[in-house]
Amino acid sequence: MQDLLLYCTNGLLLGVIYALSALGVSLIVGIMNVINFSHGELYVLAGYFSALFARALGLPVLAGAGLAVAVVFLFGLLVERTLIRNTYGNDMASLIITFVLSIVLQNAYLLIFGPYPQKPPNWVDGSTRLFGLFYYGNQRLAALGAGAVVIAVLFLVVKKTWFGKTVRAVAQDREMAAMVGVNPDGVNMLSFALGCALAAAAGVILAPIFPVTPTVSVGVSLTAFIVVVLGGMGSLGGCVIGGLILGLVQNLGSAYVSSGYKHFFGFFILLLVLTVRPTGLFGRKQL
Amino acid sequence: MVWKKVVTVPVILGLCLAGFLPAHAAETIKIGVVGPRTGPAAATGAAFEEGIALALDVINGEQGGVLGKKVEVVFEDTGGTPEKAASGFEKLITKDQVVVTVGESHSSCALAEVPIADRYKHPLIIAEAWADEITAKNSRYVFRAGPCNSGVVKDNLLGFVKDYGFKRVAIVAENTDWGLGIKKLAEDGLKAMGVEFMTVETERQSQDHYTELNKIAAFQPDLVLAFIYGFGVHYFIAQANETGLFPKKALILEGAGPPSLWPEFWQNVGDAGNLELFLSRMHSKVDFNPVSKKFREAYTKKFGKEPTDYKSRSVYDVLLIAADALRRAGSTDSEKVVDALEKTNLEVGSGVVQFGLEKGDYRYHQWQPPMLIVQWQNKEQVVVYPMSVKTGELKK
Repeated sequence: MQDLLLYCTNGLLLGVIYALSALGVSLIVGIMNVINFSHGELYVLAGYFSALFARALGLPVLAGAGLAVAVVFLFGLLVERTLIRNTYGNDMASLIITFVLSIVLQNAYLLIFGPYPQKPPNWVDGSTRLFGLFYYGNQRLAALGAGAVVIAVLFLVVKKTWFGKTVRAVAQDREMAAMVGVNPDGVNMLSFALGCALAAAAGVILAPIFPVTPTVSVGVSLTAFIVVVLGGMGSLGGCVIGGLILGLVQNLGSAYVSSGYKHFFGFFILLLVLTVRPTGLFGRKQL
Repeated sequence: MVWKKVVTVPVILGLCLAGFLPAHAAETIKIGVVGPRTGPAAATGAAFEEGIALALDVINGEQGGVLGKKVEVVFEDTGGTPEKAASGFEKLITKDQVVVTVGESHSSCALAEVPIADRYKHPLIIAEAWADEITAKNSRYVFRAGPCNSGVVKDNLLGFVKDYGFKRVAIVAENTDWGLGIKKLAEDGLKAMGVEFMTVETERQSQDHYTELNKIAAFQPDLVLAFIYGFGVHYFIAQANETGLFPKKALILEGAGPPSLWPEFWQNVGDAGNLELFLSRMHSKVDFNPVSKKFREAYTKKFGKEPTDYKSRSVYDVLLIAADALRRAGSTDSEKVVDALEKTNLEVGSGVVQFGLEKGDYRYHQWQPPMLIVQWQNKEQVVVYPMSVKTGELKK
């Protein structure tokens, strides 16, 4: 029982983080029909910036993390305006452009930061005895809480605010939204940047636990795409469920089958779901 | 007619230049180096670069080059992946036309390079890939002047467990050629000694080890042998501390060595690094011979710091071995170089190199350097094994 609780806690933590990092991909796909291949690189960029702001500039670690997310948000605005906007309607062009961007960013990180892991300081040190059974790192618990808060805020913004309504309107019918006064280009730009900021949020939350390197982005992107496909393309709720399923399956598989093949379980569950339900768990049928 | 001159003169100049360039390039003898400059063990690439610079100072400086020419090193990045290692190694042989290749730090990469060395009949001297299978393949062209799994387990790890009286040992091993190979040898050795043990495998790229640590904690070991190479072992140590296993209940002996010496070690593990044990070929207070002393002095002078990652000296050693073989061969012909390598009797930073010549197992073309077990004590390196050279007491 003790083991199961630990594995589920760990699966939950990773699930929340997987969901958080995949939500950005899902948001951009759902609204703009653009697959952002450079998603993992934005996660890494935020991790680097949070380490840089905290260690080199001496900013408080949470302020550094917030600033890193803001910088990536601005970077997202710039990318949308200069690289993505001209590709609307041509899915392959945006896919190739973001793929090239991912390679450029990876090499830029290698050049600027070197191949070594960079890590911002922990927000909190030590560990806590959970359920009176096992010790769990406080930084992990903080990451779990922060990830859950960011996801909750995103859902509130999308479901309850004027901005959320305009985003959903553009996602449903771009021309109709424009006819009633919504600026689709502006919404796209903000949505793309928001998707990038979500990747950045995952990066700053996780970097103290799992330091960033130039190539760690490949795994981040891959996991995000698995979660998005698992949950259903463009479904934010599906993304959260997909992330939690992946986190739990990976941990329980590692625990009870073999920890030597952790990532195999993610692909296995993905294949299983796609075989039974090709649109993913909550995907739109027309896809 | 003017246009003819306009075309002809640059063409002739170009041809002259083209003819000149290869002649100029042939003024050097090229030695290839393979190793990870990117990926989870990228720090090894940086250590290799330092060792290469120091070796070239010796070979081209005081030794006056090789066969009347300067030596040039071409360093190919393997990224720690076998497919990249294989293509990079092949490029060194075919495009760069190196006459001998040294280096390597990943067993899976070295195993991918062995058939290529055979195919091109190209001498390859491994510095730091430990899997027994590399030399057990008994290739005429492959040598190893560095540790092998059997040597490390038999000469160091089992003796350490026995001499310090550890009763229950947990083994965590990455699922690579090196990790699984050394795990099997450690299991066999511990079984023969009657020491209770358990084993858990992990992914090499994994950053999360809570699942493995939970299994280990349930076994209640007093020592954990961690066969994880790269930054992954940093995360393992930090998380072992978070979960209350290390150092309260068990010590961790990191079985790969250099990751505990990389500059990012303390950033990644924080105070959890204190009392961690690791394997090393080098210590500032243990000079094996005049060459190791000379290396340390040259390193300090050139880089303004003490050498930490011993792999800088590992690649330094194999470059000296390659240069020595080329000189004695009197030629860059690979068969003559291999014959010369088999007759090597050279003092390098880790000792006097003589390769095994009896075919049949991993000892063929193998030379095992002496290894140390070092413990971090308040960020100071203390040698705790072998007992004959220890510089302090083991702390638990």
